[in-house]
Amino acid sequence: MIAPIEATGLGKRFGRTWALRDCSIRVPAGKIAGLVGPNGAGKTTFLHLAAGLLRPSSGEIRVFGRSPQSQLLLLLDRLGFVAQDTPLYGGFSVADMLRFGQKLNRRWDPAAAEARLRSLDIPFDKRISHLSGGQRSQVALALALGKHPELLLLDEPVARLDPLARREFMQRLTEAVAEEGSTVLLSSHVMADLERVCDYLIIIAAGQVQVAGDIEALLASHHLLVGPRVSDDVRLGGAELIKAQHTERQSSLWIRGRVPGLGPGWREEPLPLEELVITYLSAPQAGTLPRPELEEAAS
Amino acid sequence: MMWVTWRQHRLEGLWALVLAGLVGAFTAYAAYELSVAAPNCPRTVGSGLCLSGDIFGQIAQSIMRFNLFQYGLVVLPALAGAFIGAPLVAREIENGTQHLAWTQGITRRRWLLTKLGLVVVPLLAVAALIGYVEVVFLNVQGPQVNRWDVFDQQSPVVPAATVLALALGVAFGAVIGRSVPAMAATLVSFVVVRVGIGELVRSHYIAPVMKTTHDLSAVGSQVDPTAWWLGFPDYYDSSGHLLGNLLGPGAGQPSYVIQYFQPGDRFWAFQTIESAILAGLALMILGFAVYWVTRRLT
Repeated sequence: MIAPIEATGLGKRFGRTWALRDCSIRVPAGKIAGLVGPNGAGKTTFLHLAAGLLRPSSGEIRVFGRSPQSQLLLLLDRLGFVAQDTPLYGGFSVADMLRFGQKLNRRWDPAAAEARLRSLDIPFDKRISHLSGGQRSQVALALALGKHPELLLLDEPVARLDPLARREFMQRLTEAVAEEGSTVLLSSHVMADLERVCDYLIIIAAGQVQVAGDIEALLASHHLLVGPRVSDDVRLGGAELIKAQHTERQSSLWIRGRVPGLGPGWREEPLPLEELVITYLSAPQAGTLPRPELEEAAS
Repeated sequence: MMWVTWRQHRLEGLWALVLAGLVGAFTAYAAYELSVAAPNCPRTVGSGLCLSGDIFGQIAQSIMRFNLFQYGLVVLPALAGAFIGAPLVAREIENGTQHLAWTQGITRRRWLLTKLGLVVVPLLAVAALIGYVEVVFLNVQGPQVNRWDVFDQQSPVVPAATVLALALGVAFGAVIGRSVPAMAATLVSFVVVRVGIGELVRSHYIAPVMKTTHDLSAVGSQVDPTAWWLGFPDYYDSSGHLLGNLLGPGAGQPSYVIQYFQPGDRFWAFQTIESAILAGLALMILGFAVYWVTRRLT
């Protein structure tokens, strides 16, 4: 099966700085994938590369097996994109915005888009510039969902929303993709936004992928070991040390994998997702992942 | 995309129509009054033009005295470039809405070409029309009128200049990505191009005619009011020494005078050549803008 997104060795340079470097990601079909990382980590750059808004400086990216740069027209119908700060035309009414979607997309379901906004009590004759932030992002979401995209890309869709509107947006998003069965890639720098809705996680920092995988598998494979003070080069029997912290008498080891037969005085604790993310982001050299092979597209 | 373009730019279109309509209406009104009064000439004004003595003739006279429409025909193309051309792409980039527009179901090439077509072509038509009204306004003033004085205000130069201004606006807007600096760049570059062509290039389209005469009073428009007299007359004494352009005390005894000019019957050839230059420049700049928007993905 062709993955919705596959990137190998993907890099993007703006002038002298690499916004994204040697990035290999495979987003499996049907997942709601979260793209986490601090501001400036390269999340927007990656999403823009996937949406065909940018050209890679190195490596390649495929969306449904096709290049978003040279074969964009074949992809546009299958791709929904909500850009950062959910840009919309401020002078348009909500109805105008829906008509915009209808006029510019061959695949467009006006009834679904209207029903979605009607259920949120968003007045159709109101100008976009007079909507609240939450309503605005709901309109942007409805616009992206109006063409029933197989892949939905969202760039920090809730960054500017208050907690209530965040929850509402995420809920609507999950409902919609549950109905449609589409794949979602959603970026955020706030882990709490993603924890509830995502089942796949990609951690990115300083332009490089730290870790990527199913959240359940990530949680199952990462542990915190607490025990008597040891040095950093302690043997872990195949498990990988991500981070270590020591006090005078105690050591805390963040590890990937399992240590067979823990010594006396040691205990193993599960690592909450947020802490797992922070652990990786605070240890940028820790993440290493096998690079996925690009499947050739049947074009 | 056609509806989207209409929805986005209808207000600008309305403004353009109102302003161009005012300029066109004033010019047409003056032309009409001149043509009505021409056969029996109730009273003459200015340089021998005929107008009726009633209130309508006086209104026409005021319009012509303030000459607002003549300025309008020069200024409106620049305004179109700055206020319609420059924000065309720049405003989208400023608001981030290009990311919305370019991820719908059409390519950005089609997005831009539709926008350009629906904005440039109607403005071209409007500009051609008001430039033509100016031509009619000059026609009714009789065969002795000097068209060169208002070279920039007639069709087809007016529509060609309008397209150039729009092209500059769109290109600066796309490259700079912010409306206000793009507007300033558009205005400055448009003025530089137009003044540069008018002052430095225009008189060379066809080699001027040289006229030598011993009748020292027969200079400039006294000889032929329909011609474009280039520079000042050069006075020479009987031995062929140049005395200067303007004769004053102690300048010597002039014998003959040499002048260069472009005859009136070359006027439309000059209009055609200049329109072709402006339109050619405009097409190149538009081509660059399309390249920039479709290929330079940032």
